[in-house]
Amino acid sequence: MALRWIAALIGFALVAFVGIVVIGDFSAERAADSWALVAAIGLAAAFVAYAATEYFQTGGFGSIARQFDLRTVVLVPIAIAINIILGAAVANALKIPIYLDSIGTILVGALAGPIAGALTGFTANLVWQYIIPPPFQGTVAAPFAIVAAVIGLMAGLFARAGWLRPRPNSSGGALLIGGLVALGIVVLLAVYAYVRFYTDAFEFFNPDNADPLFVILGWLIAGLFVAFIVGFVALLVVRRDLTVAYVTVAGVLTGMVAALISAPISANLFSGITGSGTDFLVAAFRQAGSDIQVATFQQGLLSDPVDKLVTFFVVYLVLTAIARRTIARFPQGERLVEAGDASAGEGGEWRGASG
Amino acid sequence: MAGGERLNVGAGQDRGRGVPGFLGRRGPGRYHRLNPLTKATLATVTAIGAVVVGGLLGPALLVAAAVLLPALAAGVLRRLLLLAGLLALPIAISAFVVNLFFFPGGADVLFRVGPIVATAEGLGFALEILARILAISGAVTLFYLTTHPADLVVDLERRGVSPRLAFVANASVQAVPAMVERAAQITAAQRARGLDTEGSIWRRVRGLVPIVAPVILGSIAEVEERTMALEARGFTRPGRRTLLWAPRDSVPEATVRWLMLAGLAGLVALRATGAWPG
Amino acid sequence: MTLALHGVGYRYAGATRPSLLDVDLVLPHGEVVGLVGASEAGKTTLCLVASGLAPRAIGGQIRGRVTLDDEDVDAWPMHRLSQRIGIGFQNPANQLSQVTESVFEEVAFGPMNLGLPRDEVLERTWSAVDALRIGPLVERDPRRLSGGQQQLVAIAGLLALGPDHLVLDEPTAQLDPAGTRLVADAIARLATGGASILVAEHKTDLLLDVAARVIAVDAGWIVLDGPAAEVLADPAIEVLGVAPPAAVRLTREAERGGVPAAARARLAEALAK
Repeated sequence: MALRWIAALIGFALVAFVGIVVIGDFSAERAADSWALVAAIGLAAAFVAYAATEYFQTGGFGSIARQFDLRTVVLVPIAIAINIILGAAVANALKIPIYLDSIGTILVGALAGPIAGALTGFTANLVWQYIIPPPFQGTVAAPFAIVAAVIGLMAGLFARAGWLRPRPNSSGGALLIGGLVALGIVVLLAVYAYVRFYTDAFEFFNPDNADPLFVILGWLIAGLFVAFIVGFVALLVVRRDLTVAYVTVAGVLTGMVAALISAPISANLFSGITGSGTDFLVAAFRQAGSDIQVATFQQGLLSDPVDKLVTFFVVYLVLTAIARRTIARFPQGERLVEAGDASAGEGGEWRGASG
Repeated sequence: MAGGERLNVGAGQDRGRGVPGFLGRRGPGRYHRLNPLTKATLATVTAIGAVVVGGLLGPALLVAAAVLLPALAAGVLRRLLLLAGLLALPIAISAFVVNLFFFPGGADVLFRVGPIVATAEGLGFALEILARILAISGAVTLFYLTTHPADLVVDLERRGVSPRLAFVANASVQAVPAMVERAAQITAAQRARGLDTEGSIWRRVRGLVPIVAPVILGSIAEVEERTMALEARGFTRPGRRTLLWAPRDSVPEATVRWLMLAGLAGLVALRATGAWPG
Repeated sequence: MTLALHGVGYRYAGATRPSLLDVDLVLPHGEVVGLVGASEAGKTTLCLVASGLAPRAIGGQIRGRVTLDDEDVDAWPMHRLSQRIGIGFQNPANQLSQVTESVFEEVAFGPMNLGLPRDEVLERTWSAVDALRIGPLVERDPRRLSGGQQQLVAIAGLLALGPDHLVLDEPTAQLDPAGTRLVADAIARLATGGASILVAEHKTDLLLDVAARVIAVDAGWIVLDGPAAEVLADPAIEVLGVAPPAAVRLTREAERGGVPAAARARLAEALAK
């Protein structure tokens, strides 16, 4: 058993090593920012190494397959369809600068677990490009399979930690503390992103910068941020549900990680263009003087957190709308519902399934 | 079924009441009848190769050799050009415009549109990215036009992929049009109840909610019964399942596949070590 | 094969009260048994328990014994049990596997899952197709069929597994009259062929047609169990919220209207044909 984990570790280390060497050689200025992508590939390699070792040991993938009970297997294609139809149809038609193509992935991650979520995301992107026929076929979906995998993984981990469990009627004190902590985390992440990726390139509010486009863009982004804070507080107060804070942090965190992983892929493969509404942002940042890599990061760090935030909220709303006993039957279902009526335990002649 | 075993798919080879003739999609051409894994490998190698090779000439050659030529042989050239072109159009336009006008560090100015400049370097880069996108789009479209997705899944299952994974792949293909249909039905029903789906962006977004929510919730509610139905058909039995038919494979094809992969690996190695000019 | 439930009770996962209490039921070979009762009375639960899906596929807790020819099947996994007892549901579309593109492959889905040799898979598929008379449909896309046709395909898919008993939970509930006719005829044919079927239905006319025996459930108990004509004529079932068959209602009205006994008897005879 330990052998598998050692193999996984070796796989990860190998990829990390190769990644550092390769990226060092391909050095663009910001090559160092590809650490997230290398880490993600390392995770994938670790998983493959684990699976391969298990296969050699036992001739099968028992410990992995056991996590996929039939209900999950039936859910995944539906989740993939949700990804594609909501991703391709809605976001493209509305031309808004977010993707909305992870709703299904995050849903599976929440209901079935991190590994299931990761595999759903991975498979979804591959299926989207190779197996789904036009008009829904995704032309650039496959390279981002690893991003989708990490998104599913994170969603599963958050759900496992109980972050998506509704907490209605939270006390005022809990709401206050939770709200402040959540806001604090988001602000910290925003500051990190700003300092790392935006300040060197240009200044939004620099009065010497004659380009009106960036003054407007700057104010828009600032406005967005303020609107977010106001909306967040309002939601907390109105619904009195502390989970709003958890969901917000989960969304923003997942979005940032997704941006960090997908930017190098997008920049190197497609120069940051994906044919969706986000391309306008990339153009704007390039006009301001950022090179291709940086512009892609800058766009990603705006679009992805918003996108994942919206997606996590959609998933949370969907989960609250599903009947409790339907959710409870999924592998991670118990962590998504309020600790409620404890079902009468087995006793005496009552027994569960044994076959 | 042991890997590599060939199953007979007979046109009219219904020995008495054997496998019905219509099973086993046989395409009109020799290219269609190639093993789906071969065609998939070609698509992948072409797509990755176009990215790795870089420049303009490389992807163009790849497209000619690995996309246009087989398409011609398979008789799908016209449909391929139409379909791949349409598919790649949004990205192609975006990529071309953005790279032409917004290429950082471009000095050789071609023309101006207001404050935005088009540069020669930008043009060059835009064409490169365009070539790459067309190569990828063409490769995948060729695969789609000459292969039935279920064939690929059956072939993979024959080679040892778990039935559950095969189920996910197949069911995903069917789930998409099923969901579109359901969305259409719900849209019609909601419209009959007075839902407004035209107008400003905000109104359209709000109009989406009463459609998207029932679609998602309805699909999830069905999971329970569909799971039971699958259990009742013995789906949870561990181990492989019997396949009625599978696409043919042959040693020459397998060899070609390995050669393609080796070629790609070599290309990547050359690029990584800088031996190939960028 | 005799399927029997001895003192069976069942409680859904997360429920506080059991849905089935102390059910004793014997389903001998070759008998078609109807199952009636109000909604939520326990019909579906009984079907799920008899077929083994409860508790295997849906969790929950069971007590008592379920036996096949006196052998306790508690430890049998679902894929083994499904070769003895098949279960069909109301919604035709949900029973499709969603991975097949022809009716033939859909019917063959079960035997394929069992890993049987290819020739046996083909043989079983063809005989199931013949039994349900869906030969003309084998090339069709199962998703494009009418509800009634899909239900036939579903039943054929169950038969292909070779079970001794079929449990059908309201197979015509979501069908239009044409579809209902289609399925009812198929069930009748299977019945004449000597199949063992437990069919839950609201449409008591259908049951009068095909069932030899009828059981009524209420609040998790079996309250009536006897020959179909008797049980369905019993006024007690109306209290349970079950509408008696048209024939029964007609004869009752005739009695109330003062039609003499001899004429009523002839009426009853004519309706029974």
